[in-house]
Amino acid sequence: MNDPLQQLIEAIKVGNRKIAATATQTALDSGSSGKEVLGALSEGMDDVGKRFKANEIFVPEVLVAARAMKKSMELLEPILVKSGIKPEHTLVIGTVKGDLHDIGKNLVAMMMKGANFNVIDLGTNLPAQTILDAAIEHKADLVGLSALLTTTMPAMRETVALMNKEPHPFKIIVGGAPITQDFADDIGADGFAIDAASTVELARTLVTSS
Amino acid sequence: MNQSSKKQSNGFNEMKAAPETLKYSVIACDVFKEELESLGGEKPPWSGIQYLEMGLHDQPDLLRKSISIALRKLEMNASIEAIVFVYGLCGTGLVGISPSRCPIIIPRAHDCVSILLGSPKRHSEILQKYPEAYFYSPGWVRGKRAPGPDREKHLRAFYTQRYGDDQELVDELLEADKESFAHHNCAAYVDLTQNEKAEDYCKSCAHSLGWKFRKLEGDPRLLHDLLYGPWDDKRFLIVQPGRSIALSTDSKVLREQ
Repeated sequence: MNDPLQQLIEAIKVGNRKIAATATQTALDSGSSGKEVLGALSEGMDDVGKRFKANEIFVPEVLVAARAMKKSMELLEPILVKSGIKPEHTLVIGTVKGDLHDIGKNLVAMMMKGANFNVIDLGTNLPAQTILDAAIEHKADLVGLSALLTTTMPAMRETVALMNKEPHPFKIIVGGAPITQDFADDIGADGFAIDAASTVELARTLVTSS
Repeated sequence: MNQSSKKQSNGFNEMKAAPETLKYSVIACDVFKEELESLGGEKPPWSGIQYLEMGLHDQPDLLRKSISIALRKLEMNASIEAIVFVYGLCGTGLVGISPSRCPIIIPRAHDCVSILLGSPKRHSEILQKYPEAYFYSPGWVRGKRAPGPDREKHLRAFYTQRYGDDQELVDELLEADKESFAHHNCAAYVDLTQNEKAEDYCKSCAHSLGWKFRKLEGDPRLLHDLLYGPWDDKRFLIVQPGRSIALSTDSKVLREQ
């Protein structure tokens, strides 16, 4: 397996940071574009997401894969900046009030960063007003809300309701283990994504349609 | 509504007031074994409890499948008239479950924590107050799933079997597992059975993780009434044959659809 992009995909799948870093560097040195490297990262993480969903791997394996992706992105970011590719859209993201679980949110933030979005990560356990204020302050195109617990789903509803009280320019994406499309529709969110990889696709669709 | 479900509906109305007049069976998460044994006494009014493995809520589809199989099996026993679920929403693993013959009685609860604390309202209030709490109970301690030294031992053995040739990766996976609990800083112990051994174990987990230990007063009323009635609509959902369990994002937690 000599293709460094293929090596990178495999390194992400097994969460090998060292190989992810060397494969990224080799790929860039041998003329791969930033976009191609991002594509490889996305392909690797997509596979990780699928195996997680199928219960073949567990949270620690996803986290280790995410660390490998982060390592690769550290090498990639200066290249992207140098090439003048600037993020066109801003995502403000966080977990809703009462929910401190941030693994999913962090994965989405990283994938969105990798997809060239300007990501403002507000962290966890956020009051609705804090998220709304940040969305306005950062002129967000998208707001991402995450909840892992069914106990915090009402807080997600309240957050979306507060945002939708007044007209706003951003689209709201919701996600997290117990969230469904029905729930997203019911609370007035603009979109629901089942995992980090599909959030990127959804985000692209939403920003182009607006 | 066909004739048989009409009859069951009437049966349910009777058992709402006096469940002891009907023959019902129980499907419970194994996490409740201590509490159910304590509440059941020597001669419980229900005919049999089937325990399912704890922790299935991590894989909601598998939980749904396991419960549905147990439910179908019980429904084949013509003498059983209703089935009590000692489960809550459990990571949405209960959503979609539908009885074909016997009404299901299920508490309006998010999970075992709501049940042990006595209500989803109290559960939410405690979570708002201590969002960093990780809940322990005697069953959860017995299952060795809670963060602490045993979990680490179990995970090391599991990952060594899976990635044995790469100990560096195994170490990293264990570190990542700890990271996944990094937002917790408090071991919150809820017990209805005065299990000192489990409480001490929880304290030792808190100590080894550098977390605070907090004992929360359990409230047995929801679990007691789930097992003995009355099954009032405020605290319990009755799912009639042909209908299914659905999520309700208001204070009712569950609804029938």
